[in-house]
Amino acid sequence: MTPTRRTTLAAMVAALVMGTTALAGEITHDLGTTDVPDAPERVVVLEFSFIDALVSVGMAPVGIADDNKAERVMEVYGNVLGEDWTSVGTRKTPSLEVIASLQPDLIIADTTRHTDAYDTLSQIAPTIVLDSLGGDYHDSVAQMAVIGEAIGKPDAMTARIADHKTLMADYVAQIAPKVKDVAGQFGVTNATGLYLHSPTSYNGSLLEMFGFSSNMTPGEGGVYETNYVQTTLEQLSELDPDLLILGEYTDPSATDNWAGEPLWQALSAVKSGEVHYVTANNWSRLRGMVAAELTAADLLKIVDRDASGS
Amino acid sequence: MPAAVKRGALGSGRPVAAAFIFFALVCGAALSLATGGRSDVGLGTLWALIAGQGDEIARLPMATMLDLRLPRAAVAALLGVNLSLAGLILQAVTRNPLASPGILGINQGAALGLVAALAFPGAAGLALDGMAIAGALGAGAVTFAIAGGFSGRIDPVRMVLGGVAVGAFAYGAVRFAYTLEDELARSIVRWTVGDIGDMRWSDARPLALWSLGGGVMTFLLAHRLNMMSLGEVASRGLGADPRWTLLLGAVVATALAGVSVTVAGPIAFVGLVVPHVARALFGGDHRVLVPVSAGLGAALMLCADGLSKLLAAPAEVPVGLVAALIGAPYFLYLTMFSEALE
Amino acid sequence: MNVARVMTVSGALATGLVLASVWSISTGAVSVPWAVIANTLFDLEGPKQDFIVMKSRLPRTVLAVLTGGALALSGAIIQALLRNALASPKVIGINSGAALAVCLAVMAGAGAAWLPLYAFAGGVVAAFIVWLGSLRRRASPARLALIGIAVGFLCDTGVDYILVTAPTYQFSAPLVWMTGSLWSRGWTDVNAVAPLLLPLGALALLISYRLDLIRLGDSPARGLGVNVPLERPLLLLLATALAAVSVAAVGALGFVGLMAPHIARQLVGGDHRGLLPVAMLTGMLLVVLADAAGRALAPPIEVSAGILTALFGAPFFIFILLTNRRGDT
Repeated sequence: MTPTRRTTLAAMVAALVMGTTALAGEITHDLGTTDVPDAPERVVVLEFSFIDALVSVGMAPVGIADDNKAERVMEVYGNVLGEDWTSVGTRKTPSLEVIASLQPDLIIADTTRHTDAYDTLSQIAPTIVLDSLGGDYHDSVAQMAVIGEAIGKPDAMTARIADHKTLMADYVAQIAPKVKDVAGQFGVTNATGLYLHSPTSYNGSLLEMFGFSSNMTPGEGGVYETNYVQTTLEQLSELDPDLLILGEYTDPSATDNWAGEPLWQALSAVKSGEVHYVTANNWSRLRGMVAAELTAADLLKIVDRDASGS
Repeated sequence: MPAAVKRGALGSGRPVAAAFIFFALVCGAALSLATGGRSDVGLGTLWALIAGQGDEIARLPMATMLDLRLPRAAVAALLGVNLSLAGLILQAVTRNPLASPGILGINQGAALGLVAALAFPGAAGLALDGMAIAGALGAGAVTFAIAGGFSGRIDPVRMVLGGVAVGAFAYGAVRFAYTLEDELARSIVRWTVGDIGDMRWSDARPLALWSLGGGVMTFLLAHRLNMMSLGEVASRGLGADPRWTLLLGAVVATALAGVSVTVAGPIAFVGLVVPHVARALFGGDHRVLVPVSAGLGAALMLCADGLSKLLAAPAEVPVGLVAALIGAPYFLYLTMFSEALE
Repeated sequence: MNVARVMTVSGALATGLVLASVWSISTGAVSVPWAVIANTLFDLEGPKQDFIVMKSRLPRTVLAVLTGGALALSGAIIQALLRNALASPKVIGINSGAALAVCLAVMAGAGAAWLPLYAFAGGVVAAFIVWLGSLRRRASPARLALIGIAVGFLCDTGVDYILVTAPTYQFSAPLVWMTGSLWSRGWTDVNAVAPLLLPLGALALLISYRLDLIRLGDSPARGLGVNVPLERPLLLLLATALAAVSVAAVGALGFVGLMAPHIARQLVGGDHRGLLPVAMLTGMLLVVLADAAGRALAPPIEVSAGILTALFGAPFFIFILLTNRRGDT
């Protein structure tokens, strides 16, 4: 975790502690402090990890920025979301008018994408802004707590987070011993290339928690500090992870095109059959507790499959 | 415009010319082949390969060199040849030192062609390439028409402004499609900046054919290109109709540029810079300039490829961007200081 | 100058502008009937749409009017100075300079509120470099245009380099803005630019007759009492300021500064006392229409106004060029 993120995390935790003893309904977030109604009922969320947060305490938002592709969220969160929500457009530029027409009492936005629109959003409804896109796994869990406060279900959220942590610790206990000294790497591919997720990214930090080591060592200000790094076959063969997890966005993807080549076949992961394919959407886009639990289950299956030798 | 074909700094001494280009090519090739993701593949591997000691190299460095780096270097060199020839032709037929494929909207036209092709599901391979080239030709034709090419006289400012307009339209159309359907961006390969990160021999082969054909055509046009530089009246007097030269040259140049965009995406400024350097060193005789520009273009792209792997190591900067980093300041320098613009 | 003609055309354009503005306020992901608009604006009885009308679409429309007018005026001045009807603010590198300044500022960690200021500074610096470059050999208008394009390319390359080598997620928001968009613009943005654009625009209209003099050529203008070496850079600065402030607010709206004066010239001829106001009205109309159409096309997706001005501006411009062979007026 970078120093700035650590500081933000500490600040949020401190604010949370202070918040529970100070005025209820005042939430501290990336762009300051906002007065939020005690128990909002109509929440609009502008990033997928925020859906995750609401869904994990059984609440459905009334508006979701789903990139106009409902399938991206329905598959995982559909049973709680139901059919009663409205799409507000793309995450990049959601329609402020549709948001307004939903008459929300709380809006949860992303720091990277929506800082510009904060003033205008605040005029529609109290808005809190959190770093979903840029943060790693631990940031994401911390944000869950803030969201729990904001939607007026701090206890339910605390309980859910505790459950989540227990579940994840359980997964870690099962997975970590089997992956001691294994260098694991996650990446996404599309037609244009392979993008590896660095250790500072959401999935990178998750893999690190599960006990994998990483061959992508971020130097001070080096390019591996960036979350997603485009990687050629040659660079991949230099990195040579022991275990490679790929999410493919297109079919065929860039890595499929590499299949027959000597450098690909010489990769440690390929030689030992440790290249695994997962649903890119779930691993990379969603982020959040439910998504992390799905990821962990996928990972356990992967690791168990190896252990049983099949 | 110069009344006679100028002699350059190195005179027209053939041995000197050949030596200089050979040296530039060797340096460029070494830079390109010695750099890359794997640290165990370098000049040593290359030397061993050349010296016939192939058996002594381990399998993976060998595979890296043969399957990845050599084709990538070959593609870079061929792109350099194509783009320099395109630039040379364009500067000659338009009598405008600022002419180059990147400025005429050709790159953006090819991108639009690609997007249009992708709008029809199932399009792949040849159809995709064909649409890209069609887009390039279309864009080039419109810019050409705006500049007055079809009536035989080209106004330099109108050409550049027209190219900017055509490019802006094509680029706007691509972004429009991307706004409505963001999945497109994942399938459009390299439409914003040229990138040769994933080249194999299968990419180099068709490119080589175009380079060869284009080179031959340009060489055949060389005499006419010389006459065009004498000015319209003089060249008519010599019996060559400048309008045909203009049209033919423009088509060849656009095709060369269009093919390059299809393979690697838009690479700007190579077609601009190389003919100028060639002219400064070797004079204005196009029979000499054709091979010289081709050689220098290849050398420049090889160096750019090497730099692309060094600038932000261990990440790679797309080669089109490196070429632009070299070429854009030179372009600015030209616009400020070039005598030939008035 | 045919005063009657200018008045008629201006009247028609102004009416068109009002109609377009009403359409702009009524159209979008949520369709607002005219009755509701009236209720909200004049606080009458009946259903209202307070946020959408008052806080979202009305300020957007006002901003579109302001920036459209400013860009058109800027384009008209530049075309007169360069003596070339094909010139525009883009041609003196403003858009690209602004974009580069914003990228550098984001990399250095500047807060979002300061970005418009950096955009403005970047645009002015780019234009200044172009002007400096042209000084060297007392450049012709053609050379000035070419230098401007070169500066633009250089800045664009810088932007591309930053976008490639820096963490991409940092640039998501500035990228939207840079493409020319009025998304999420509100009264804060209007209040930021109106105090600048209104006086600058008024100034441009007042001194429009000087442009006629300068267009005659350096010597004739000097003979008529125009201090060309002083006035030309000052007019360029005025045009730059108008364009740079607009770019700071809404990003690069291509072709408005190019199209509007040209259309106006077809309507009322080349006398700048009539040309500038008509160009201004045309520019306002174009941007309002572009923003409204962007919202009307595929709701709730919003197509940026910048994409639409390029999509319609470029072919229109190309058509004009193909049918009108002469490049200057």
